[in-house]
Amino acid sequence: MINKRIIFSLLYSKGHFFLSRNFRLQKIGDLNWLEKNYSFQETCEHIDELTFILVTKNPDEKEINSFFKDIAVIRERIFAPIMIGGSIRSINDVKNCFENGADKILINTEARNKNFINQISEIYGNQAITIMIDYKGDNNNVFTESGTKDINMSVDRLLNEIKVYNFGEIILHSIDKDGTGNGFDFDLINNAVNLPNKPILLMGGAGTPEHIVEALKNDKVSGAITANLLNFIGEGLKITRNLAVENKIEIAKLT
Amino acid sequence: MKKIAIINCGSGNIASLINALKYLDYESVVLDKPEKNYNFSHIIFPGVGSFGNLAENLKKLGFYEYLVENKKRGNFLLGICVGMQLLFKSSDEGKSSLGLNFIDGNLKLFTTDKIKKLPVPHVGFAKVDYKYSKIWKDIPKNPYFYFIHSYRLTKISEKINYATTYYGEKFISYVESENVFGSQFHPEKSHKSGLRFLDNFCNFK
Repeated sequence: MINKRIIFSLLYSKGHFFLSRNFRLQKIGDLNWLEKNYSFQETCEHIDELTFILVTKNPDEKEINSFFKDIAVIRERIFAPIMIGGSIRSINDVKNCFENGADKILINTEARNKNFINQISEIYGNQAITIMIDYKGDNNNVFTESGTKDINMSVDRLLNEIKVYNFGEIILHSIDKDGTGNGFDFDLINNAVNLPNKPILLMGGAGTPEHIVEALKNDKVSGAITANLLNFIGEGLKITRNLAVENKIEIAKLT
Repeated sequence: MKKIAIINCGSGNIASLINALKYLDYESVVLDKPEKNYNFSHIIFPGVGSFGNLAENLKKLGFYEYLVENKKRGNFLLGICVGMQLLFKSSDEGKSSLGLNFIDGNLKLFTTDKIKKLPVPHVGFAKVDYKYSKIWKDIPKNPYFYFIHSYRLTKISEKINYATTYYGEKFISYVESENVFGSQFHPEKSHKSGLRFLDNFCNFK
């Protein structure tokens, strides 16, 4: 009855899409590359949502505009829900994202800014806000500013702090697992005591369709996100979706 | 090219809808205020945000009367998401604001106890169980559409055609009454079935 989600994420900076490994970025290709090597439209017929993340640090106006311009090109032929994130710090940034096609926005560094979160929710509704928590280390410490700033707080403590805020869902994004292709981190979600009664999405570590299916089998997981440009585009997501169905996972039939 | 009006109340993403109409070969005209000089036979009214907020904006911008007027004229209206909710009388989200009252009903928040601890908001693709009418032409049985909402309608007059979706409990995910149509889901984000749904609406004569 609750359908699990498979979400694909594109990491964007300066006209190119990137692979990320432990938050270190590797340039892969631009819009033409995406179209030429894979029919991205067909790839997207097998996903529940598409995410765009601007990974440029302190992007200027020109960079933000080029991000939205490239999103606009992709969105012309893709009719799926869209989430946009990266450097969202002000209500004007938020407005910009919604005007450029976002159905939901990702909040990371500003996750503890209660007034900001509640202000967004008043205008766009709490369902439009996804809190993305980047974490690493044995104590699951939360990092902000694209994984560079240790805020000296465990994910569980952060979850406890923000539980009264008006947001829609949470992404648990493991920096240690990011780009490794070794599978998702389940320790955190299985042991966290302050998980809210909201959808929880896992990100970081998917290398194979089996990894995504393993995540979707977990009762606490609503969806799995991959930004692995090389392993999952082309036929990868279609295969993943079919494998989920074979594994009797409740998942939408999209085609 | 047929012109389809899209009402823009400022709170939300209409770009996907414009893209979908373009893909289907319709010209969309975005209205920031009521258009008196052109009679649009098809008007789409998308909505993101809260019921109260949207209801107030609708009144402020003059769209409240515009939609009432167009309903009377027999033009086809389609409300999407909160736009569908606004077709009803009221919602617990924004109690002081009234909807268009084209169809009787009051929206209520999903109560997590009732829906067995499922997360709220309800986000994601879900199955729509419809009774055939022209808007469902060429769409397979029990299609999946994209939902993102916290409020829902559970009761409706049996006299009108509606569709239901199950999320811990059955709720009304689509309604049609004469020339007024509403979908709680987002057809513009629902892959092929969504495109067909929009195409069928735009083809109404």
